[in-house]
Amino acid sequence: MQNAEWKDENMKILIAIDDTDNMEKGRGTGHLAQELSEMIQEKGYGTCERITRHQLLIHEDIPYTSHNSSMCFMAQVRQEDLPQIIRLAQDFLEREHAPESDPGLCVAAMEGIKSPERLIDFGWSAKKTVLNKDLAYSMAQETGIHLSEHGGTGLGIVGALAGVGLRLSGNDGEFKGQIKIGQENDIYQVSEICEIGGADLVMGLDGTVLHGEEKVLFGRFRKLLLAEGKSVMLVAPLEEKKEGVAWVTCNKKQLRAFGDERIV
Amino acid sequence: MNELFEIKELFETNEKGQACFSKGKDAFKEAQMAAEECLQFAFDVEEELFTEEEERSCYNCRYRRWTKASFTCQGRE
Repeated sequence: MQNAEWKDENMKILIAIDDTDNMEKGRGTGHLAQELSEMIQEKGYGTCERITRHQLLIHEDIPYTSHNSSMCFMAQVRQEDLPQIIRLAQDFLEREHAPESDPGLCVAAMEGIKSPERLIDFGWSAKKTVLNKDLAYSMAQETGIHLSEHGGTGLGIVGALAGVGLRLSGNDGEFKGQIKIGQENDIYQVSEICEIGGADLVMGLDGTVLHGEEKVLFGRFRKLLLAEGKSVMLVAPLEEKKEGVAWVTCNKKQLRAFGDERIV
Repeated sequence: MNELFEIKELFETNEKGQACFSKGKDAFKEAQMAAEECLQFAFDVEEELFTEEEERSCYNCRYRRWTKASFTCQGRE
């Protein structure tokens, strides 16, 4: 286990977990991340932001349990509570992970990360190449963050560390769940999507940022991506404008393709 | 050619003995057809769905495991 060095009294931390699920339980790593974030808040340790999912490399040499994706969230906590928060997360993973999984936990105080660019590079590398536990522990030591394994081979530490790096990059991942408003075939103004729906901005596939009064047709998927540190709803031009509506939310395939294009 | 025969043709056995979907990651119609007749199909968790929600497709199944070019089916093993 790599011990962390905590410096700030009120700090933002990133918590990532990976490789906790199996196909029989039908309860994925995202579900566990959600439960963990709720526990942290219920115990009064701080407030947690939304969870992001980060897709890592799909490769036959990586024995991922089901998807090889890592889940990460940010929390604002007090420095003195950090050891308890880590203990809470460790106990939770050891109690809740599926028997055949290899869970890993990474916790990083954002202001305390040494060489954050190296950690971000590690995250991008995990999307392109096969990494191992030795590399992960080495990187955790170099950057001064907590990394621990909690069952099986513990290989999930690689994805957990990568998840923190990718969340830190601000340019990878989808937020868990759909946005807070609307359903398929509804039409919303961009201003509503931002003010009520929780998006920071609405953007076209070509990078065009939509104005507040522009209208968007909701498709079946209404996901937000993490881009430039913001929660972004990605939209595509409608083939035929209808009633002043020129945009439609991207489908899953478009979102994944956009994500693949962002890999550094 | 009947439909069941076509669906059988969608999977081939790879060198590890796994049932591998032969049409890749963009054969949405074929993945739907295969899932429609599959008794093992089960929806994956929300964040891992590949196509639209509620679409019964091998791409959305808990038992598919992505490979570089396609996926293998653990339900057919």
